[in-house]
Formats: sequence, structure tokens, C-alpha cells
Amino acid sequence: MSTPLSLQDLDLPRRNGELAFDAPWQSTVFALAAAVIEHAFGGDREPFRRQLIAAIAAEPDRPYWESWTAALEVLVQTLPGQPGP
Amino acid sequence: MTEGGHHPVPVSPAEQRVAALEALLTERGLVPDGFIEEITRRYESEIGPMNGAKVVARAWADPRYKQRLLADGTAAIGELGFGGPEGDHMVVVENTPRVHNVIVCTLCSCYPWPVLGLPPAWYKDPPYRARMVREPRTLLAEMGCQLPDDAEIRVWDSSAEVRYLVLPERPPGTEAMTEAELAGLVTRDSMIGVSRL
Repeated sequence: MSTPLSLQDLDLPRRNGELAFDAPWQSTVFALAAAVIEHAFGGDREPFRRQLIAAIAAEPDRPYWESWTAALEVLVQTLPGQPGP
Repeated sequence: MTEGGHHPVPVSPAEQRVAALEALLTERGLVPDGFIEEITRRYESEIGPMNGAKVVARAWADPRYKQRLLADGTAAIGELGFGGPEGDHMVVVENTPRVHNVIVCTLCSCYPWPVLGLPPAWYKDPPYRARMVREPRTLLAEMGCQLPDDAEIRVWDSSAEVRYLVLPERPPGTEAMTEAELAGLVTRDSMIGVSRL
């Protein structure tokens, strides 16, 4: 475990701005990708990253977390035992 | 505005898709109980630019640490207890009066999570990803970062395996400060390279 953070530490990230997530579904889909990477790909992030790059390239102006969602949907289709589309 | 106990607003298509993914992945046993809450909590409160600020402050305060940091970023950052996803191959690039470094990911959103947390919205947007490579001086100026005309700008594309962190210059007049005070000066944007301290 890391050492406990002091109050001063907790102030720092806020000084610069934005929260990481604008809505709960965004943190959920972020964590879902983390779960798939960890539990289905043994920690290998590359397959997801490739899908994310493809999803962003397919629709460059789509909001980021929607591209993230699309990438995860495609990746999930490739999991063993997953019925095809 | 009234907030009832129910959801008066229909959920968005994105929310529906994420809910479907969550149901599917939970059924497949890939999402242990509490996993989503734990990841969210970690990235909202434990992992963020305060970690990078500690690395920078240590480098300013301890020349030997700085040497190790520039030689092997991953190991030196690991000395402070930071590592994990997106931090496997960390390279720290040092700003000097003549050289200004800035990081970008042209293909997606690669970013040094263990030391900066998750990237800000603008880092992930197409204009930043395209323009920081094409016209860095102009874009930096638009973002409020004016550089001397003779300063060289080095743009580091994080798209490969490597994740970069900018080591900003230590501001003048900070000689008497403690490491914790120094850490308080370091901003996220200065470690991305879109601002100077």
C-alpha cells in the first residue's frame, strides 16, 4: 500500500483543473476497460489501445468517452466464448 | 430544478451502452464486486498530478535523484512508489532555458497515468493532437505558454510504448523551499509541457 496522503497532497490535483470524469457512466466505462484488461487479457493493454486508436480514427470528432465505449464493445466481441455479432 | 428519488431524465444512449457492457462483463465474471468503485476512487483521489509533482520536486532538491530520473525514468519514479498501468516505460525530458519539451499522443490518448492521473479533456481532443505536432509554437502561445524565439521545442509523441513526463525548470527564488513546498509549485500543465512555471 502507498503511504497515506497529506491534506496538502489532496489539494494539488484540484489546482489544475478538470475532474477526470464528467459523468458516472464515464468512470464506469473506464473501470470496465480496466477490468477487461486485467481479467481477460492478463494486464496487456495493447489490444484495447489498438481498438481505441481505431475507434478514434473512425470518428475523430466523437466525444472521447464514447469512442472509449465503442472500442470496448469491439474488444468484448473478441473475447473467447463470446457469441459473434 | 427538482431532484426526485427516481430518474426523471431518460438515460443517454452512451449510458445505455455502458450499462449493457457492465451487465455483460459482470455476467462473464470479469468485474468483481466493488471493482468499478475502487478504480474510480483511486483515479479520482490517489493517482494524479500530485504524484508527478513529488517526482519533480525531488529532482529539483536532489541532483543525484535527478540524474537517476533522467537516466531511467521508470525506476526513479518507482523509488517514490509510483508505477502501474501506463507507467511501464517512463522517459523524463528536461526543460532548460534553450529547450522546451511538450508531450502529445497523436493517435489516441496515451499519457503517464501513475504520475499525472488521467489526461485532461483537451489532451484527448483532435485539435491538440494534430496541432501540437504541426505548429507547436503557435498552439503553445494560444494556450498561454510564450517561449523565447530562440528556444527549441521538442514534441514527444507518446503513441509508442513510451510515456513521457516533462521536468520543468525550477523557478528562480525557490532555493530556500522544502521539497514539499516545491511540490506545491508544480502544476499538471507544466509536466505536460503546455505551461512554464
